[in-house]
Amino acid sequence: MVHITAFFRPLLVALLSLLPALAPAAESAPSTTPRATVSLLSASDALAPGQTVELALHFRFQPGWHIYWMNPGDAGQAPRIEVFAPAGSTVGDVRWPAPERHVDGPITTFVHQGDVLLPFPLTLPASLSGTTALSVKASWLVCKDICIPEEGVFRLELPAGAAEPGSDAPLFEAARAAAPVRTDWQVSVDATGQLTLRGAGAGTLKAADFFPADWGRIEHGAAQTLTVEGDRARIALVPGAEFDAAKPLEGVLRATGADGVERALWLSTADQPVVRTPVVMLAAGDAPPSSGGTAPPIQSSAAGETGGLWPLLFAFAGGLLLNLMPCVFPVLAIKALSFARAGGGEAARVRRHSLAYCAGVVLSFVALAGLLLALRAAGSQAGWGFQFQSPVFVAAMATLLFAIGLNLSGVFDVGGRLASAGSGLAERGGLAGSFFTGVLAVVVATPCTAPFMGGAIAAALSAPAVVTVGIFVALGLGMALPYLLLAFFPALARRMPKPGAWMERLKQALAFPMYGAAAWLVWVLSQQSGADGVLHVLVALLLVALAAWLAGSAQRGAPRACLWRAAAVLALVIAALAVGRTPAAQPVAAASAEGAYSPQRLADLRASGKPVFVNMTAAWCVTCLMNEKVALSTAEVQAAFAARGIVYLKGDWTRADPDITAFLQSHGRDGVPLYVYYPAGGQPVLLPQILTPGVVLAHLEPGP
Amino acid sequence: MTTAISHRSALLALALGLSAAIAHAAPRVGEPAPAFAAVDSNGRSVKLADFAGRTVVLEWTNHGCPYVQKWYQGGMQALQKDATGKGAVWLTVLSSAPGTQGHVDGPTANRMMKEQGAVPTHYLLDPEGRVGRAYGAQVTPHMYVIAPDGRLAYAGGIDSIASADVSDIAKAEPLARLAIDAVLAGRPVAKAQTRPYGCSVKYAN
Repeated sequence: MVHITAFFRPLLVALLSLLPALAPAAESAPSTTPRATVSLLSASDALAPGQTVELALHFRFQPGWHIYWMNPGDAGQAPRIEVFAPAGSTVGDVRWPAPERHVDGPITTFVHQGDVLLPFPLTLPASLSGTTALSVKASWLVCKDICIPEEGVFRLELPAGAAEPGSDAPLFEAARAAAPVRTDWQVSVDATGQLTLRGAGAGTLKAADFFPADWGRIEHGAAQTLTVEGDRARIALVPGAEFDAAKPLEGVLRATGADGVERALWLSTADQPVVRTPVVMLAAGDAPPSSGGTAPPIQSSAAGETGGLWPLLFAFAGGLLLNLMPCVFPVLAIKALSFARAGGGEAARVRRHSLAYCAGVVLSFVALAGLLLALRAAGSQAGWGFQFQSPVFVAAMATLLFAIGLNLSGVFDVGGRLASAGSGLAERGGLAGSFFTGVLAVVVATPCTAPFMGGAIAAALSAPAVVTVGIFVALGLGMALPYLLLAFFPALARRMPKPGAWMERLKQALAFPMYGAAAWLVWVLSQQSGADGVLHVLVALLLVALAAWLAGSAQRGAPRACLWRAAAVLALVIAALAVGRTPAAQPVAAASAEGAYSPQRLADLRASGKPVFVNMTAAWCVTCLMNEKVALSTAEVQAAFAARGIVYLKGDWTRADPDITAFLQSHGRDGVPLYVYYPAGGQPVLLPQILTPGVVLAHLEPGP
Repeated sequence: MTTAISHRSALLALALGLSAAIAHAAPRVGEPAPAFAAVDSNGRSVKLADFAGRTVVLEWTNHGCPYVQKWYQGGMQALQKDATGKGAVWLTVLSSAPGTQGHVDGPTANRMMKEQGAVPTHYLLDPEGRVGRAYGAQVTPHMYVIAPDGRLAYAGGIDSIASADVSDIAKAEPLARLAIDAVLAGRPVAKAQTRPYGCSVKYAN
């Protein structure tokens, strides 16, 4: 039963979230930023004419982010709330929850964090009828290490009628229960700042923390000393800049009683309520249009990235384009060789091979999907191309491609005995060879996130498991389609060259793209693990070459072949050890280099009103390097950046970097390249994944 | 018994005195302004004593803070030009610790000042927060005015409306400007201790 409930709960929540479209909403559309989600709530589902309804701003903060209390303390600012309501309405001020003390070096502030409800009353005119639109414009300063002013306009439409408690009424009840309670203690303060509390329970306080309601009356951060005697508690406060013993002192006391329970109390030395400038005001004029979110929405050409068939289509198109990506080129070599072999056979055999290749491609993508799902389930932040962030993986790939190259060069032949080795698998004859060629094609293609792919992968990561697998199947089908077309349209296949002696020469020639790819991966590794990593992989390559020569010698009939073979196996084992011990990625020095991306730097630059161009790249991403070469580093683009005062920030994802992973995900992507232009004071613009100088310049133009 | 109580009272008095001393580390208006020495954005050493007999304005800054940005859309530059034109010394102080918001080196500070048209007499780099802590600077922009006699004449906000909205500048009482003008004219400052507002100063912890 419990399991069934757990299973249906998300479904129920999803259905309930659709309800506001059908029923009168007691909660506005939320405003969401990376810092907080904010909405406007009503305690009742209807507005009773002439009666008071409780409204509230509901803040849900990301960890560490906070807003400020009525007295913010040494820094910060309390929120401001403007209410657009029918003529004749009146509003009351926020019923503040008890604040928390936030100490940051010499600066003490009084804050609210986590899940915060700021309730306030609205009294409606007696003439109210029909449906009433209530709008609330709020602005608040949200801070963690830095402060960001945010604002939102929230809108509720409620019918006139008997005010029954709405679905959010329990939230209001909880806020009321937790709000500071006015005490009946006698409260007084003397000229030295000593606060005296007299009454039942005051003499047994175990701990007390006083938060003054007005700024500067006491030193906010100074130590407070509690002493108790008889029915009294005395709290020694340090007078602040605005201290005046003749003026009323009010505030919240977080007091721990004899029972060890902390309660929030409202203390006042005044008999009459103290009048303050309210936080909530009635607004004049018409309500501004409701804002969905206060963070500027990203302008993206890839609209509709999620939902329906789009992710599947994008994935299919991405898979097709993978065939054209530069880093698939070495594998195209293998495919071309396979074509050459298949060209000599009959049509049925070609079809079987193409289906095997297709199965290899698709099943590899399904396996990747399974891996992604497993990592996602484990809470890992898996990103597209993540395999290439592992130095061990890069070293293994370099060794594998080198071994394939040696095989193509004819140093050794692959027989049944090495069937378990990846290099052998891809080069095997028969259907298995075609299958593993497909597998290899997928593995090598991983870092080339073709256009459209980013959105599809992001959708896959955030979608249910079935959809994730579907997206990866579509990717695989797209990638295998050209091969299938050739196989099933014999007219095309018959144009393949006839077998002959040229095949051996072609095979040998195709070794060089393999060596090239291996060299490229060694360069990638040099950026990941430095000189030590390069040494490891070069030792592994040397041993693989030795093993290949030993195996080849045995195959060519050298005496005591089993000894040669044993030596080859030994060399391979040592090579595997060298690869397996490739040093882990070195941590990047904390945003030291000028122009290196960090969230802080981006926030600073944006805050200082500078336009910023962010380039997210990786050494193993050929598309990224091409874009830099042909577009970003050209004199034309550089001059345009300089002329506009654009600051160029580069994020290097060659090694796993959680900040960059977070940045990619915040733009709905899970791989590089990603280019985002932030105009000064404007909304960020996503650029395509394939750049030309013209494309970059077009996106730098001032928007509409 | 009496001894025990008096011991406790003595301890209490000591504790109170200590906490008061800590809290009072920040100078009050009318007291002598704490002496300081700091390196400016051009690498020169600057001491408060260099400006004995002159009116000195201290402005705490952090270019990433929205409240500072509100003032650097022209308001702060105008205030600097006006005050220095009348003979005051204007010291912009940056107490952001390395790695925190607003921390910059001298050349960057100079470039930003040039871009913004800021004209302080010196831009002081205070990455360890020594000057900031000596004055109890809590926010950016926190403003201080030191009279020619070396006493603190004003401490507090740059104006009376705590907001990051530039349109509020025209509506607010210009507290810092009034204080600077009063000190330059040798008059007492009407509102000498006011509420500062802004982002917290990003001190090293």
